[in-house]
Amino acid sequence: MTTTEAQIMLSVGIIEKDVNGDTLWVWCYPSVSPELKQVLLRKCCLTQEVQEFHTFVFGHFSRTWFYITTAEVQEPTALNKVTHFSIVITAKDFNPEKYAALSRILCRTYMKHGSPVKMMEAYITVLTKGICQSDENGSFLIKDYDVETAYLAGSIKDVVSQFGVETVILYTALMLKKRIVIYHPRIEALLEFTRVLPALTWHRKDWSILHPYVHLTDVELDDIKKCPGYVAGFVDPVVSNRSDLFDVFVNLPDGVITVSQGAKDAMAMGKLHKDIAQLIVKSAEDAERSDSQVIKDLSMKTAEVLSHLAALTESCGNSKLTLEALKQHHFPPATENFLFHLAAAEQLLQI
Amino acid sequence: MEEVDKILIHALRHVGTEVGEDVDSLKRFTSDLIVEAVVRCVRVIEPGLGGALPTSLPPGMSARFRVGMSLAQACQDVGYKGEIGYQTFLYSNEPEIRSLLMFLVEKLPRERAEASDQSAGKSAVLQRSIAAAIRTQLAASWVPPNCRLPLHCETQNHGALHSFHVQPLTFPHCTKTSDKKHLKGLPPCSLHFTRNACAPCSDRTGSVLSEVQDYHRDVLPPVTAQASSQASAVASILERHAAELSAAQEWDNDWKSQGLLSRLTPQEYRSRKSSRLRKRIEEQLRSAAAPSPESAFGVSRSASELTELLQTFKGSAPSAHVLTKGTHFTHAQKFTFTQEGAATSPVLAGRQSEGDAQIRQQEELSSLQQQFQQLCSEVDQLAADIKHLNVTNAQVLDELKQRELRNAEEEEKMQVKKKTADLLPDAENNLLKLQSLVEGGAKRVVNLASQWEKHRAPLIEEYRRLKEICSNKDLESNRKLSEIKSLHEKIRVSTEEAKKKEDTYKQLVTELERLPKDASRSAYTQRILEIVGNIKKQKEEITKILSDTKELQKEINNLTGKLDRTFAVTDELVFKDAKKDESVRKAYKYLAALHENCNQLIQTIEDTGTILREIRDLEEQIEAENGNKTVSNLERILDDYKAIRQENAALAAKVREG
Repeated sequence: MTTTEAQIMLSVGIIEKDVNGDTLWVWCYPSVSPELKQVLLRKCCLTQEVQEFHTFVFGHFSRTWFYITTAEVQEPTALNKVTHFSIVITAKDFNPEKYAALSRILCRTYMKHGSPVKMMEAYITVLTKGICQSDENGSFLIKDYDVETAYLAGSIKDVVSQFGVETVILYTALMLKKRIVIYHPRIEALLEFTRVLPALTWHRKDWSILHPYVHLTDVELDDIKKCPGYVAGFVDPVVSNRSDLFDVFVNLPDGVITVSQGAKDAMAMGKLHKDIAQLIVKSAEDAERSDSQVIKDLSMKTAEVLSHLAALTESCGNSKLTLEALKQHHFPPATENFLFHLAAAEQLLQI
Repeated sequence: MEEVDKILIHALRHVGTEVGEDVDSLKRFTSDLIVEAVVRCVRVIEPGLGGALPTSLPPGMSARFRVGMSLAQACQDVGYKGEIGYQTFLYSNEPEIRSLLMFLVEKLPRERAEASDQSAGKSAVLQRSIAAAIRTQLAASWVPPNCRLPLHCETQNHGALHSFHVQPLTFPHCTKTSDKKHLKGLPPCSLHFTRNACAPCSDRTGSVLSEVQDYHRDVLPPVTAQASSQASAVASILERHAAELSAAQEWDNDWKSQGLLSRLTPQEYRSRKSSRLRKRIEEQLRSAAAPSPESAFGVSRSASELTELLQTFKGSAPSAHVLTKGTHFTHAQKFTFTQEGAATSPVLAGRQSEGDAQIRQQEELSSLQQQFQQLCSEVDQLAADIKHLNVTNAQVLDELKQRELRNAEEEEKMQVKKKTADLLPDAENNLLKLQSLVEGGAKRVVNLASQWEKHRAPLIEEYRRLKEICSNKDLESNRKLSEIKSLHEKIRVSTEEAKKKEDTYKQLVTELERLPKDASRSAYTQRILEIVGNIKKQKEEITKILSDTKELQKEINNLTGKLDRTFAVTDELVFKDAKKDESVRKAYKYLAALHENCNQLIQTIEDTGTILREIRDLEEQIEAENGNKTVSNLERILDDYKAIRQENAALAAKVREG
């Protein structure tokens, strides 16, 4: 589907920081809405007062993925009065590796020639042909980077090794389409961790719930609230006080997962969850199995659960589950609660 | 000399010596007077020493001699370093007496007035008077009410007590908001800080409504009449003044330290500050109001109080809120409590017929319990329904959203497919055309980009250049701001110093007025300054003379040297020729004689000068000695000697007889 893929890239922009300390949005093609420009300026590490330099960050805003590569201007260069610059690519798909590679090439071109024209040529060739020459004696091909690889690129084993059996809380929250907020002061660790979480619900392959880099501003918070359930990453520690924003709060540096009061009864866990937890841990601890295999194991178990749920719906008319039908099976209350909410999440509930 | 004498006489009179009115210089002091003065001074300086000494000379010569010796000893003990003996008192001469008396008068302990260690200054004076008044009031003994005199009523009556009660006052000075001169240093917006009066006075633009002006002019009573009682009038004015003063000072400090740095106008600075404060308050309220169990352990009791307060703001909590949050058990608790309340009231009502009432109560109880059970079950049912509805609602919304998204995507795909389908019949050509279109489009876009770059690059350059200039100006203005700050600081310091100096000046003026006027210090200071001036002039003249003398001496040395050298040369020259020629020999002899005579002349002149100097010295010595009254003293000594010899003879005769 290369034709549709080519239309996935939406725009490219350049942000520069000059010797006066100003950070300016100097170029964009074809266009970027002012709201998105504001958001991107905020995400770009050049505007932040703390002088932290992040080479590559990505995030999600208003159904658009943005990828920002920042570079420090080094001699020899044709750019004068510029100390740092960032290249921003917005696209519709989630593929950090692809866009990281592309923006690296664009960065080098820009730094060498000092004019966005050359960079734009490269961008247009990628846009139209899906390939562009990189100055490292190779070429960048879009089809080298497919989306499944991106989805599986995160390390589920790291997550399990950090949280152990508590990983099942994250699993439950994701399955029930709850709101998860993750805090870590370093953006790179945050991105690493959050990108793998949607893989826990592999059957949905829905990465649009992922908002790995959010600031506590009204614009961005309104945007994530549009999704019923989301995985949001924050670098601001104040977010732990914003209990209106999350059902599950993950404090990554401390390794603590907390469930908020309002969601406790929906997230009640029983034997089923224990089984799943043990499965996850066992699978991850096995050194022979790779990350993708762990995810595959988990997705098989999920498929079991879902098929079980589907079997339950057969007994009802309209192939939708009702609460009474569920109660007839006399599951233990935690499992019953979980299945009820899961049915709602999978749109199997009778309205 | 007269002034010195006058000062000495004044000091001696102060010590207690009876110096006659006509005695105005030390020349007129008699021995008796001298002795009395010295003894009194010594008594004041060291009471132990002076106690043994008599103030007048006894008649007997030997006694006088003894008294003189002991006085001399006493003076030496006190510390007088000069030559002193009985002769100083019995056969006095002016210079010695003057030096002794000066020494003693200086040794007199200075009386420091109590006034000098009291710091003056209006507030200190006020405090001292307040303290004195309170002291007298405390000293007055308490008298029972019936016996109170009007004198006591003021301080001891109950009615005299007024608590410090403050009332808000209306000042009409907001009419002058447009006239900045009246508000020197008080920015117009600060009036909004004062509690009541001025907010309705001025509309947005700060100008005053005419009706308000009329009100202020015609209707508003003066400030002293605005308060309900006299006591609170004063208190209210003080309070108002203190509040305004502190607000103005606060604003001044804040503006000088932070406001100038922020480079905003005062209004902007103020609005920014208020919005920042509001945001902080919002944050605090939000974090305290939201029940967050994770952070609950760290939150102090005050937060829970705050939540209770906020609950009261919410008013009666809607029952739905209660239902969703509570569990079965808490509801049961609540209902049992209300039931108990309902049960207690019939108990309190009447104890009329106990048995009857008991049955009725039982019936009521059972019916209420039934009702309660029913309500409980209804509540449970409702809670479950709500939960179910929430969940289904979420599901439906989710579905809706997903469908919308899918719709949008499918529409896009459909558009693309439609266009492709249109082009499909002539596939090959269209493909080529499309490719060329795309390439052409790409080239055009790149072309446009380069054109745009031609425009953009200089603009960005310009922008950056101007920004640099701006930041340089920023540095400049920062520097100026810091200068302004230091100037403010200097102004403050100078005003403080000026105030202090004014205070000390006032204090010194009052002290000066308080000092006794008998010894006119200004006359003394005048004379001292004159003398100093004279001495300076004399010093100048002396230096001039010295330099002249030096010049002369140098010249003399020069000339002598020249003379010697010339003579030596001439002598050589002539002597050489003298061997041969007779006339030259004669000339040589004349030369030698001339030299000799001139030398003698010079010598004589020098001797004359020396002798003149000696004469002058001797004349001075004669004058000094003449002042010493030596002759009269000598006569007196001889007389006294004779008297002592007579006394000795008389005493010897007495001893021989007895």
